[in-house]
Amino acid sequence: MSARARLWIFLVGAAGFAVLFAAACIDLPAFGTVPHPYGVRAVRAALSHHTSNVIASVNFDLRAFDTLGEETILFSAVLGTVVLLRQARDEHRKDPEPAVVHPRVRRFALLTLACALLVGLYVIAHGQISPGGGFQGGVVAATALHLLYIAADYRALERVRPLTLYEIGEAAGEAAYVITGLAAVLAGSAFLANVLPFGTLAALSSGGTVPVLNAAVGLEVTSGIVVLLARFLDQAVEIEEPGEDDGGPWDSGDSGGNGDEQRERA
Amino acid sequence: MDTARLLPLVVAVPLLGAAVLVATGRRLPRLVSDIVGCAFAAATAALALLVLFRAGHPGPGTYPVEWVGGWRRVGIVLVGDPLGAGLAALVSLLVVTVLVYSWRYFEEPPRRHTGSFPALILVFQAGMCGFALTGDLFNAFVFFELMGVVAYALTGFRVEEPKPLQGALAFGVVNSLGGYATLLGITLLYARTGELGFAQIGRRLDADGPDGLVLAAFVLVTTGLLVKAAAVPFHFWLPDAHAVAPTPVCMLLSGVMVELGVYGVARVYWTVFSGPGGLSHPDVTRALLVLGVLTTLLGAAMCWRQRHLKRLLAFSTVAHTGLFLIGVAVLTPEGISGTALYVLGHAGVKAALFACVGVLLDRYATVDEHELFARARELPEVGVLFAVGGLALSGLPPFASGLGKAAAEEAAGHTAGWLPALYVLVSAVTGGAVLRAGLRIFAGVGRRPGKEEGGPETTGEEEPETGGRLGRIPVPLLAVPAALLAASLALGVIPAVASAVGRAGALFTDTGGYRRTVLDGHAAAAPAHLPPHWQLTGILLGLLSAALAIALATLAVRRPVHTGAAALFAPVRRLQSGHIGDYVAWLVAGAALLTVLTVPGIR
Repeated sequence: MSARARLWIFLVGAAGFAVLFAAACIDLPAFGTVPHPYGVRAVRAALSHHTSNVIASVNFDLRAFDTLGEETILFSAVLGTVVLLRQARDEHRKDPEPAVVHPRVRRFALLTLACALLVGLYVIAHGQISPGGGFQGGVVAATALHLLYIAADYRALERVRPLTLYEIGEAAGEAAYVITGLAAVLAGSAFLANVLPFGTLAALSSGGTVPVLNAAVGLEVTSGIVVLLARFLDQAVEIEEPGEDDGGPWDSGDSGGNGDEQRERA
Repeated sequence: MDTARLLPLVVAVPLLGAAVLVATGRRLPRLVSDIVGCAFAAATAALALLVLFRAGHPGPGTYPVEWVGGWRRVGIVLVGDPLGAGLAALVSLLVVTVLVYSWRYFEEPPRRHTGSFPALILVFQAGMCGFALTGDLFNAFVFFELMGVVAYALTGFRVEEPKPLQGALAFGVVNSLGGYATLLGITLLYARTGELGFAQIGRRLDADGPDGLVLAAFVLVTTGLLVKAAAVPFHFWLPDAHAVAPTPVCMLLSGVMVELGVYGVARVYWTVFSGPGGLSHPDVTRALLVLGVLTTLLGAAMCWRQRHLKRLLAFSTVAHTGLFLIGVAVLTPEGISGTALYVLGHAGVKAALFACVGVLLDRYATVDEHELFARARELPEVGVLFAVGGLALSGLPPFASGLGKAAAEEAAGHTAGWLPALYVLVSAVTGGAVLRAGLRIFAGVGRRPGKEEGGPETTGEEEPETGGRLGRIPVPLLAVPAALLAASLALGVIPAVASAVGRAGALFTDTGGYRRTVLDGHAAAAPAHLPPHWQLTGILLGLLSAALAIALATLAVRRPVHTGAAALFAPVRRLQSGHIGDYVAWLVAGAALLTVLTVPGIR
């Protein structure tokens, strides 16, 4: 199809879509008038389980099953990336170059690393009482580790990042969520029911299973993002296409694996 | 245990299996990780079958309803109505057979990641089962996305070549856009009703009359589901993805995932939009019927023109999805139950055909009909399976695909008298295309096709998916297609299956009964219904389409290709350009077309 024909088909379709969407928006309820029916029920339900962060209650208690699906989407996206970005038979791996970093940059990055890691863990742990939770804190913690790439170089990052451990951590986070749900079934309740004591409102231990599920998601997201970024960074820094042979080949690369074996040996 | 308690476990067990495989996959040898994968898939299948048997018990009774986390009306509900539970069981059983088939199929999996293929398949299973069982619109979207994410990765599994990645990318982009449309529709419904459950949204909508918002929500939600169902003009991703995906993945994509898109359309319509606050029946019938007829005609025409066997089967899936959409479009319990039986039979037959193609790809490193001419004479067993598959695809009694086709075409005939003719024609053409390929490849009948015609998009040069040619064909590669065809045959002749499917269709279309069962906990008695059964007209029409398929196939192999016909199809064929921009333009245009077709619904 020519670019012109494509554009016309798109424009005609988009015009129809715009009319439809405008019609829908006109019929939307007016902004900020009536209390939202679900909002009222969700707040009541959250408070009944002593969870002061209502959003965490919706995510990890009322609709915890959705969150299981969402966590699994990330889990399988990482798994899919590991599969798709594996070292192909005709690619080879080269040792990353050591980099020289200005001492000031290094000091600042290391300081930020410690702070960011702490903030990430804090956000995961306090998901039930203040904004945040496993998804947000997990991303912060995982990216914090990568400040080491700035503070030192890729080889330093690889040393603090034993990928095997993070892959197991990712699977453990996924499994922990499922097992928490199954434990409720074994306790004679519904799957993912909040069976733990609710604690006092606004205390760190409040919310029953909400902090447990938050921690499971935090573990999964932290490890998952580390594995995900590692795969992309490997492609950018270490893995070379057949033609682009400028450094000494580190590995003939006919194993079809991820080269982790070599890395672990190194 | 209470049957309802089992519903979430159908999703949880495969997810646990995937986590176990990812955690231990680095240490386990391949055989062990394959066995672990099969065990978790089989356990899930057992759970799904248990739910189905308890829910599908004939006589007055209810079906299991489970509020996850115990949050009645505030949380997410899973509903084990016979149709949803039956689909979950179908998905799970097919996943088990696919895992058995892949046992000896792939070359060495990614080193130190032996568990990654079965783990992805298990997550795929969880996503599809969750989608079939959920009674919540947003939850359905989550599982829709989960199915998508896994399917993109599985499609691009063979990273050594560029084509799988391109196919996976087109699949990913088009399906994600469809997903956004669905999400936009969900937000509109949520803004209006403050609810996310099918039953709750439906009840709230029925309090007011339909308006532009309801129409837009229907169009947007349905657009995403139709992308998954590969209805014209949202279908372009499907042949591109099927041509490049590993064969075991094709078995799942064609066998059940695409059909779940049709199921989603039917489920959302019957639970949310079928009341007085939704859209009127004639408008929805018109919209789905037009798309269904376009889909089935285009699919059949393109199917006939293919030489690449996987693309041929992929377009036959498009054609059959069109027929399924027509069965849903007539909006009757008979249409639903006939289509459900058709989907059951089709899943077994199509997966068996893909399994046969996998054997060819292993032996000859090509799936091109012309290159394979007479080369597979040494594989008579595969040839017989392939031919039986082609006949079953054309609706030969007593296969379940034949009974489903007969029941669906009879139901469609009540809406428009010419629809049964369409069922016969499309079944004959798709079955005939398979038989034609079978005659050429396995029997070497007719003239050796010339080398001149056929652009790169129809030929079938492929890398084998197995590591080097397998010495002797491993038992699973033959046993799996044979078992699938036998299952398809058994489902067609066991009367209990047909009567259970009839009851499932009646409960599925009973909107009031569904809402009462989910929200009020009243037992929904199955409304009066006539289960699909063999009738003389159905048998005759089935025999007719099978005979037509044989006639078309013999005619095609005896006579040289008409260049005139090829020129006639060229513009249609060129639409399948492989350009993602084209596919996106068609998707937007398709949403607009759906709007135009449904617009009188708000009056």
